[in-house]
Amino acid sequence: MTVKQFFKSQAFKCIIVLLVIALIAGGLLAILNDVLAVSDEERTMRAIEKVYGQKMKYEDMEFSAEELTNDYGSISKVYLLENGNYLVQSTGGNGYKGGTITVWVVLKADADGNFGGIEKVVLESYEKQTLMSKLTYDVYSAHNDEVTGDVYFTTGGDGIKVVVSGATYSTNALNNAVDCALKFAKDKLFAKEVA
Amino acid sequence: MTGKRFKTIAFDGLLKNNPTLRLVLGTCPTLALSTAAFNGIGMGLAVTFILICSNVLISLLRKTIPNAVRIPAFVIIIATFVTIVRMVLDKFIPSLYDSMGVYLPLIVVNCIILGRAESFASKNKVLDSACDGLFTGLGFTCALTLIGAVREILGAGAIFGYTLWDFKIEFFTSSAGAFFVYGLAIAIFNAVYSRIENIRRSKTFDLRIMPKPDVSAPDNLDPEASETAQANTTADVAAKEVK
Repeated sequence: MTVKQFFKSQAFKCIIVLLVIALIAGGLLAILNDVLAVSDEERTMRAIEKVYGQKMKYEDMEFSAEELTNDYGSISKVYLLENGNYLVQSTGGNGYKGGTITVWVVLKADADGNFGGIEKVVLESYEKQTLMSKLTYDVYSAHNDEVTGDVYFTTGGDGIKVVVSGATYSTNALNNAVDCALKFAKDKLFAKEVA
Repeated sequence: MTGKRFKTIAFDGLLKNNPTLRLVLGTCPTLALSTAAFNGIGMGLAVTFILICSNVLISLLRKTIPNAVRIPAFVIIIATFVTIVRMVLDKFIPSLYDSMGVYLPLIVVNCIILGRAESFASKNKVLDSACDGLFTGLGFTCALTLIGAVREILGAGAIFGYTLWDFKIEFFTSSAGAFFVYGLAIAIFNAVYSRIENIRRSKTFDLRIMPKPDVSAPDNLDPEASETAQANTTADVAAKEVK
């Protein structure tokens, strides 16, 4: 096949048509992405609204990567809220089929600025877990009196037993996410405040 | 487009070829997102919008897109509209965007949309294709909303988020409950549809076998011969119907 024949062939037409469609679609999406992009601030405000039902001022807090990781999982965002509480985004693993769960945990500070327990736990996202819709945000705050020292949440071992109905494996990841936030609060967040 | 053609497309999309209850297409989002009526409406309207847009564009380009690359071209077009819907929902209705989760991007490979693009839009005019997208999408939306409403009422004692009563059977919010309600909906819809179709057919059949008055027939025709002739006509029509 000569070059001239190639340019006149059906194969060339196919390539051109696909390229043109892909280019127009790509261009359109690039423009719309710029117009409809959701900023980080807006996402954080949505999370606060999801937790409290209203918008609230917040302050971004910075920690090193080492401080944000512990045995239970990892922390991705920490904010100090207008009302003095802390909003922490935490991810825990070892769920059903190795899935993860990300939650927003509100950590209370008492009048002296010490750790006062968990106020609310709200789901952000969950992979491969299907029964998490049954979680209510007072499941963990009901155990605030017990969360002292080295006590954490568990599905079956030593500690405070919490299992969301019908989702034992998924609760592993959920407990890990909450424990991650709890350990971070005990070891870093409130320890740092005191220091 | 004639009125008759419009009626046929509407009837096909909503009832005769209802994607969820007759063709059993789009089962994955039907089972996963029918936990609440609002989710069903949201998913249904998103699919309807994508169906209309993709059908119109594919119909416009049907003579331009070579046959050999039609499927990749359709997928690019559908994926573009799905991405636009995702962006719009994320920006303006984040709660619906969150509740749809992974099933929103999966609309790209939804067999209802690809099926209508391949079997209808690529062979028909723009207006016909737009109507087909609209009514197929509405058929899908109605089915999803109906199943979602039943599951929400029985499983959560609520409808569109408003609590009706405290009584709830949690089975209906589970995956098994989704299969149960979906299967029941298919069975009831098909039973009712078949019955109506049989009645309609038998009426048409009755009309067709009614003997026409023979104005040229002599007045002194033998009554027995007349009956035989009528029976023959009936048998002929019946035989043609069977064929």
